[in-house]
Amino acid sequence: MPEYLDDPSVLTKDKLKSELIAHNVELPSGNPTKDVYVQLYLDRLTAQNKKKHAAAAAPDAFSSDEELPPPAVSNRSRSSGRKATKKSEKLHPEEVDVTALTDEDLRDELRKHGVNVGPIVESTRKLYEKKLQKYLDDGPVQPLPTELQVNHNGNSESDIYSDKEDEEVAVPEPVIEPEPEPVPVVERRVRSGVKTPVSTRTGSSSSSRHQKVEKISASEQNLKVEKDVPKELFSGDMNSPTGISVSCRKPIRGAAGRPVISSDLWNEEISFASPTTKTSSYSYTESHAVNRVSSVNPSASFASFTASSSSSNASSSTPFVTAPSAGPSRAVRRSMPLWKKLVLFGVLATFLIFVYLAMETNSVSPFQASEAAAGGTA
Amino acid sequence: MSSTSQKHKEFVAEPMGEKPVMALAGIGEVLGRKLEENGFDKAYVVLGQYLVLKKDEELFKDWLKDTCGANAKQQRDCYGCLKEWCDAFL
Repeated sequence: MPEYLDDPSVLTKDKLKSELIAHNVELPSGNPTKDVYVQLYLDRLTAQNKKKHAAAAAPDAFSSDEELPPPAVSNRSRSSGRKATKKSEKLHPEEVDVTALTDEDLRDELRKHGVNVGPIVESTRKLYEKKLQKYLDDGPVQPLPTELQVNHNGNSESDIYSDKEDEEVAVPEPVIEPEPEPVPVVERRVRSGVKTPVSTRTGSSSSSRHQKVEKISASEQNLKVEKDVPKELFSGDMNSPTGISVSCRKPIRGAAGRPVISSDLWNEEISFASPTTKTSSYSYTESHAVNRVSSVNPSASFASFTASSSSSNASSSTPFVTAPSAGPSRAVRRSMPLWKKLVLFGVLATFLIFVYLAMETNSVSPFQASEAAAGGTA
Repeated sequence: MSSTSQKHKEFVAEPMGEKPVMALAGIGEVLGRKLEENGFDKAYVVLGQYLVLKKDEELFKDWLKDTCGANAKQQRDCYGCLKEWCDAFL
């Protein structure tokens, strides 16, 4: 008893043709699709197959069940063997052949799967067929679930392994694409380092240093400076013109035309406590030289003043000019320019000279008088 | 910031007019020749295909792969180029 295949689609078109011819089945004219031959085969031969089975008093359902496994097995074997075959060949016999569908049917099928279908023209048809095929392979929505499952399992597995390489490769690729590339945002650490001129080690006085440190910290607040502790040490001379002072002392106030700050003066005063008292006392005596008419005091004061000034100069290493300026500006801020002080000094000096000359006769006389007295008495 | 090639920028900067298909980003000499053999000799024809596919990314990329054998990067570049052109001029 010749067993006709219940799934003629596993055969090639040519084989189908030959089978039909062998069984005296009329072939349709022209060059129809394979599905036509499949249908013919089914109609003519499979029906005969069933008739023969019917003679054995086996129900159709039963017979269909019996006939299922072999086709399924044959499907699997065939599908695994052929890689380049059309997917439509492996399909369930009830399954539509996407290539045989009309444009409208193809569109309807795609719409069932929720695809927004565009015009199906020559260039797009193949793509839509492929797409429908993919949907069908993934999860066919068809009747006869048992058959479907059997074949579906075999088909899907085989398809995934064999024929779906291209699509599977294509699918993950677009998936990968939309992934946002994590652009590493590297925060630029603002390492300022030491932008402010760090040059000196100053053993400057505390108050000025604090002022300078405050300025520095305010300016560097935005900058992340890690070295804060040594920065304080290197607070340096921000007020000096070049910012660089190599010496251990802060810039000298009152020298080279620099404005004298009262705070500095106070500091100077502390250091100059001893000599300034002398100078102040001498300057005081100077001012009162008019009242005191004594030859010794003015001259002595004048001489001592110069000596003290020189001593003060030596101690402070300030120029000679600063000493007289320090004296008169002791209590008051320096308001008198230098030349005025010199003029005043000259005026006082001449005045004292006049006094001296005026008293010279007197001074001579006491000595003479004293000598005379001494000589007279002796 | 997306990294687009010079070709992409040039194409998207102005209406394509009669530019050849090789003016598209991702389409070089080899792919361009293949497209021309298939009848897509001008960039606007490829645009037509892109529009007929309703600007669908997957379909267009599949079509490109089937027609001229473009790899993933070339597909991506071409699709992006056309998409941006359409956003600007269409």
